[in-house]
Amino acid sequence: MYKLKDPDSIPVPEFKRSGPYTVRLLDRQFSFRDLNHLLGAADFSKAGDRGAGLSASGEVEREAARSVLSGLTLQHLYDHPPCDGQGRIDSVMRVNYDIDLSVFAGIAALSLGELKDLCLRSPAARLREIGSAMTGVMVAALTKLLDVHELILLAKRLKQGADTRARTRLGLPGTLSSRLQPNHPTDDPDAMTRLIHTGLSMGSGDALIGLNPAIDTVESISRALHHIDQVRRETGAPTQICVLAHIKTQLACLQRGAPVEILFQSLAGTEATLTGEFDVTVALLDEAYEVIHRDGPLAGEGANLMYFETGQGSEYSYAKHNNLDMTCCEALCYGLARRYRPFMVNNVTGFIGPETHLNNTEMTLANLQDHFMGKFMGLAMGMAPCFTLHSEVTIEGQQMATGLLTAAGANFFMDVYLGIDRMLAYFDTSGHDDQTLREVHGLRTAPEYEDWAVSRGIFVRDEDGGVQRRPNWGNPDIFAPSALAAKRLQEAVPAHYGADNAGPRPANAVTRLARINQAIAREAIYTDLRAGEFAGLDLRRADTAARSKAEHLADPELGARLSADAAAALAAEHRDVQIVVSDGLSAEAVHHNLHELLPVLQDGLDSRGYTRGRTLLAPCGRVKLAESVGELLRPRLVIMLIGERPGGDALASRSLSAYLAYRLERGEEQQAAAAVSGNPAIAYEYSVISNIYPSGLPPAEAGSVIAEKAMQILERGAAGNRLEQVLAGAPA
Amino acid sequence: MSDTQCHGRVLLLGLDFGSTTSSVLISYARPERGNQGTVLRCNVQDVVYRPAPVFTPFSEHGIDAAALGALLDGWLAEAGIDASQVFAGGALVTGLAAQQSNAQAIAALISERLGEQLLANAGEPALESWLAFMGGSAALSRLEPDCDVLNLDIGGGTTNPALGRDGQVLSSGCYDIGARHLRFVPGSYRLSGLSPQGKRLLLQLGLPARCGDTLSHDAVAQVTAVYVRALEALVSDAGLPPAWRWLGTLPLQLSRQGPRRITFSGGVGELLYAHSATGDWPETSCYGDLGVALAQAIARSPVLSRDLHSHCPPQRGRATVCGLALNSSEVSGASLFLPQPSCLPLRNLPVLGTLRAGQTPQALRQVLALADSCQSGVCFQYDFGCGQAMPGLAQIRCAAAALAEALKGRELAAQQPLVLLLRQNAGKVFGNYVTDWGRSHRALVVIDEVAAREARFVHIGRSHRGMVPVSYFGL
Repeated sequence: MYKLKDPDSIPVPEFKRSGPYTVRLLDRQFSFRDLNHLLGAADFSKAGDRGAGLSASGEVEREAARSVLSGLTLQHLYDHPPCDGQGRIDSVMRVNYDIDLSVFAGIAALSLGELKDLCLRSPAARLREIGSAMTGVMVAALTKLLDVHELILLAKRLKQGADTRARTRLGLPGTLSSRLQPNHPTDDPDAMTRLIHTGLSMGSGDALIGLNPAIDTVESISRALHHIDQVRRETGAPTQICVLAHIKTQLACLQRGAPVEILFQSLAGTEATLTGEFDVTVALLDEAYEVIHRDGPLAGEGANLMYFETGQGSEYSYAKHNNLDMTCCEALCYGLARRYRPFMVNNVTGFIGPETHLNNTEMTLANLQDHFMGKFMGLAMGMAPCFTLHSEVTIEGQQMATGLLTAAGANFFMDVYLGIDRMLAYFDTSGHDDQTLREVHGLRTAPEYEDWAVSRGIFVRDEDGGVQRRPNWGNPDIFAPSALAAKRLQEAVPAHYGADNAGPRPANAVTRLARINQAIAREAIYTDLRAGEFAGLDLRRADTAARSKAEHLADPELGARLSADAAAALAAEHRDVQIVVSDGLSAEAVHHNLHELLPVLQDGLDSRGYTRGRTLLAPCGRVKLAESVGELLRPRLVIMLIGERPGGDALASRSLSAYLAYRLERGEEQQAAAAVSGNPAIAYEYSVISNIYPSGLPPAEAGSVIAEKAMQILERGAAGNRLEQVLAGAPA
Repeated sequence: MSDTQCHGRVLLLGLDFGSTTSSVLISYARPERGNQGTVLRCNVQDVVYRPAPVFTPFSEHGIDAAALGALLDGWLAEAGIDASQVFAGGALVTGLAAQQSNAQAIAALISERLGEQLLANAGEPALESWLAFMGGSAALSRLEPDCDVLNLDIGGGTTNPALGRDGQVLSSGCYDIGARHLRFVPGSYRLSGLSPQGKRLLLQLGLPARCGDTLSHDAVAQVTAVYVRALEALVSDAGLPPAWRWLGTLPLQLSRQGPRRITFSGGVGELLYAHSATGDWPETSCYGDLGVALAQAIARSPVLSRDLHSHCPPQRGRATVCGLALNSSEVSGASLFLPQPSCLPLRNLPVLGTLRAGQTPQALRQVLALADSCQSGVCFQYDFGCGQAMPGLAQIRCAAAALAEALKGRELAAQQPLVLLLRQNAGKVFGNYVTDWGRSHRALVVIDEVAAREARFVHIGRSHRGMVPVSYFGL
């Protein structure tokens, strides 16, 4: 086990104000306020950086920033560590300064432009040596000077001699591995089993079998770990397992004897996000590293036993990015990750949505940057170029990104069956994709795993030393005790459109079904709300600050408040209830549910004599719009009926939710709510009723359910957890 | 084990007191929404407690109540649960045990001991057949929805066949074919006991043996041959030979053509599947009965054994106890009309008939009048007339208005709840419109998302996260 350096012993320069940086291009003068703005402007334009006000206004300004950046020395970057909001060097930045100072001494005087040229001329070993002497900010700065070919070229070179080892080896030259992700909305063991069998039959999962759990408790995570361990042992597949719960939960599971082979945690590039949002500190990660290397089931067998996930934009999405651009924050994650010599790091840039990466180009460029940066900083990078349906990223864009990343030597991709995650409602690479790319690029799985796959008739080695698919490839039934048992397992998998394959791809009939569902779901997001359909429902219109669907999707904050005109037209009405209807992320949810839901809800409220304002119809709204309306109209309760973000199922893309936002006046209720929530400034408590669509909670029944919940809230003067406590008999 | 550790799961209990052995199974299950409403699902990992079967405690006068009570207490203590944690389940006294004079009293004792959530019943062959099918073969049958599955639940006293398709029982029966009509000193064929049916069988075969006599292997073979021929006739719908018709106490009506799989459950079923998996048989008569010999004879029959290897039910024969745990109750939807949850559980509610949308208030009143003679609560099924489909809001309002009109002048006392069972997920909205949002008829309860069944009584358990278990009996 590598001994971790005490963070306090890492030398870090004092914070010094940087900039301004100026440059003249022809007759134009460009000025960048400080290093943060210079770094932001030098990057490719991406939605998150635009939202943060860090992007260049255009190509010329971007090149001006790159020009300035090219002239800055590494010593300059070393001397000017960006600080957090309080002028402090946070713990993540501090750990990033744990670099090889002797190597740094040899390159400190180089400008970034000179460094770039040096890197392009250097072999793999020298590149890795240079990477070990650089902080995340330095690596991010260099990355902003690299074009697509350079990002691919350098990353590919870095694949030599950088593999990691647990039960199997990861990242050997000539390999493309995968993490098998058997997610299910309720962690159903049968569904997990079938998805694992399916992935293994496709040669997937040699990097990891890793579940994103739906329920993060010690009992549930332990159960899932034992189950996955049993399935892996039954198949005999040489790989490692993980359940991606919070690191504290996993440590508790390990203490109870659960097979925590690889320890997982999501990382962030600022302490504010890492600790404030992820509830993780460097000290906790240090402790976890020591525990897994001392007590884990693979301790001694594997040199690398940790697994991190990162992705551009998480810090910005929490507004805790310390005024740093997304690439910089991401590189700071890697500076933290390398401290623990992880088995694997998975990058999920694209997962958040259009507020950070709007389209195929932004997602692809960000992935290539992240992949290079991680490799340069010594990490076994796997990539998950992924998307949600409310971004403009398409499956074709994702496939092109994956092709480029394979050329760049990515160590692994995900295997999400048919690319549709059944728990997280996003789209990722599949086992079919992984095999296709192995065939296109002449790559193979980890050697230990390949031996096993050959023995199970999944692969065969040909006379030229290559690997070919055998008939068992893609046939999960080979792992089931009987055909009927296999059928029973398959029934537990939602969105299973068939198991037929055509070569390494799904059969056309399977693809068509998956794509039809996806297309209908996506259409639900981009369909505009047809207000004319609700003529009989007596609605009044109130526009949000999002003037178009594009604005609405790109900036969640705009849909959270009314436009100035709409706000000016409303005044306090002091009713008991105000209903607000919005398309949110699915106009079809409103079109298919409102006619039956709203009359029932109104009948229910009227039956108790509650006063209600005329229902508002607010296109392009977000859940938080409830509070904007609440502050203007001053009702006791706002009922927000809003379309949910669609996943990959056509019917569920018409799913509506009801957010019941109880407005807390100052006084006893607010104090009680603050005590329960831990937030002294709490102004609204929420109860939620979701999954409203004909095959879920039918709209007429939902109207009745929402009405009863509203009555409970108004009668008890509480919502959310506090209401449930009151109903259960506890004092409010 | 606390409720907070359940994470949305519910605890189920199944108890089976048979002619030879008694079994218990305690398992968690997860309510999951499917196309047919909410179903309980559980896996091997969810089983909390499933000890080896023990011999059913008999005394001279029937089932030994004291020993049975101790057995129950021991099981619960070992499992670490108390009865109040159980969401649903069932206890069944079957076969020869059910024919003991105190069987009903024993069922009442179990019910009292294990709480009101449990359905306890003795000597109801159709229910036993149904549960055996649901516990063992239903999952298998759903995998081949176009093929009938005939499950033969062969225990000590009776064989309870059930024919099903796509997970649902179509018909059931009961035959006096079982391993324990002839009891032996273990390890030999020396008779230690004979049931009345066993005596009759031997007499008819010209084998007038008495207790203490040792039967020859040939005599045992003659007995098992009768059973096997009867089972073959049952399976092929040929009808029992006239001389042996008395074996059919509740003959099974097949009357269906097409492919048919045969599965087994009960003690003999367990022996068959164990042999199928390992190739081994236990020592002949080691259980002191005909079980092993009968299983061997069945295994030799090409008609009966044809699906033994290819269609093994998930529980390998231990069907009844699983059926009791998982399938003795249906699970309602989670949005019920239940103004006074404290009125639950409701036990032994008579199911008086079906109310239909589209009926006039006058017609509805006539059906509701059936409740007039009942002192306690009553239950009706409610049919919107649209199959599984959800009725529209206009239809719901109209149907509710008609029912509200029909209920005018009828006082529903709190101790006499009127329970409506719906197939669709519309319980709360329908109940609210019938009662003008709870302002009238507060003793109305509407349970939704439960299948309509031909049953005489229903038992509705306490609510858990908005759902209730619904058990039908008197099928």
